[in-house]
Amino acid sequence: MGLNKPTLLAVMLTGCALLTGGHPVFADEEADQDRAARWKQLQESLFPHRQVLDSGGIITVDAPPRALDAALVPVELHMTGKTAVKGVYLVIDDNPAPMAAHFVFGPTADPRDLKLRVRVNAYTNIHAIAETQDGQLHAATQFVKAAGGCSAPAGPDDTAALADMGRMKLRLMGDFNAGKPMQAQLMIRHPNFNGMQMNQVTRYFTPARFIRTIDATYDGAQVFHLDADISLSTDPVITFGFVPRAKGQMKVVAQDSNNATFAHSFDVPGTPPG
Amino acid sequence: MRLSVAGIIFGALAGHLTAAAHTGAGATDQGQAAATAVVTAAEHAALAQQPAPAEQPASAEHPVPAGHSAPPEPPGFWTGPVNDPVPATIKGGKIIHAGALAALLKAKDVVLIDVSNAPRRPENLPASTTWLPLPHQAIPGAIWIPGAGLGEPPPPLDRYFRERLAKVTGNDMARPLVVYCHERCWLSWNGAKRAIQYGYRNVYWFPDGIEGWRKAKLPVTVTEPEATP
Repeated sequence: MGLNKPTLLAVMLTGCALLTGGHPVFADEEADQDRAARWKQLQESLFPHRQVLDSGGIITVDAPPRALDAALVPVELHMTGKTAVKGVYLVIDDNPAPMAAHFVFGPTADPRDLKLRVRVNAYTNIHAIAETQDGQLHAATQFVKAAGGCSAPAGPDDTAALADMGRMKLRLMGDFNAGKPMQAQLMIRHPNFNGMQMNQVTRYFTPARFIRTIDATYDGAQVFHLDADISLSTDPVITFGFVPRAKGQMKVVAQDSNNATFAHSFDVPGTPPG
Repeated sequence: MRLSVAGIIFGALAGHLTAAAHTGAGATDQGQAAATAVVTAAEHAALAQQPAPAEQPASAEHPVPAGHSAPPEPPGFWTGPVNDPVPATIKGGKIIHAGALAALLKAKDVVLIDVSNAPRRPENLPASTTWLPLPHQAIPGAIWIPGAGLGEPPPPLDRYFRERLAKVTGNDMARPLVVYCHERCWLSWNGAKRAIQYGYRNVYWFPDGIEGWRKAKLPVTVTEPEATP
């Protein structure tokens, strides 16, 4: 056997561990133990000194058990409304940057349903953790099989991906009725480079550039604030609920990791500008 | 898990000493004794149940699933998507699967190379981002050289891989080399092909990767990557 001493140095030049995984695919008890250990480690580092309780019927998470495209895994979070929720965290256990998103809901939100698309780097558990108004954390989980999301190239051409960065669309779903909750789908053009994608031509890694925050307000009142990370898919799409008291304007402000700010306002109801 | 590495070392050492004592021979005979000393009686039995690795056809343990035909070998290194169906063959090398690999590692002085990618924290990731890659599971004894299986590695990395192999084999081009990463991953095919191009004559490609190794309930250890250029 080649018995060498492994060097304890940080890694170089290679792609993302996720992609080709560094991630064993397990289907056995050992795998379950590994997953439980990973989740324990994540709780300690992401929610230090806090207890993460079971879902308690407060939150559920849906994702396809076998994702067709690891770079575009649709995830749905459902808050049952049983207990008032002030925010929700989305954790992708085996991604190297596991905290994918943290939503904080404002007074105009209808926090029952959220949808977004994420990159998944391995066969992994996804945890959705609701934070109740009294500060309790409740977690729901779903196992997803997908590999390669983190290092899949955003597209054939980085320059093209950056060209119309910041364009937004807001698609209203269902009928507008003042005072009644409705859903809206927000689409933002942004490559959301995670720093692990290799440019197919230059063979260099494209530097990370991703949306860090999104704020949605309706006539000045907060709908949600989102802290995002490199796990959001290219061209992020977020579906959320809100309660318009009257006809008005949805304003969306997104800021990326290069401190570029993108802002758009949309009439509600109304045909959203292209 | 590290114990299993130690177990192999001590097992080999103990076998070595026993054989040397038995032969009671001089220096010229000792080399021959050492070559077989690592195979204990129990291991002989295990080996006997395994087909000889070299003769094992590619499809013996892992036939290509219906509807997922293996692509042909590319003429050069693969520069397409890394996680994609892989060929069922490698010209100039041999395919090996988990059971036979375990036996080979026990029977022979094998150099085992893991060419999996390593997590790479993007340089401009904010300090506030929690960066917590999973620990890397490897076959005990493996040397982890990330990047050695890239389709087009930067020249310094190519040089590093060549020199690392020369050093660990003692320039013995007949030394058995096994290259692996993950299942359905081209990095190991490229890595094995690269070793074949360097001139190694006993190169094995383990296409089932760490996943196949674990499915066979074989031990793993957490390892760190080599400091490649």
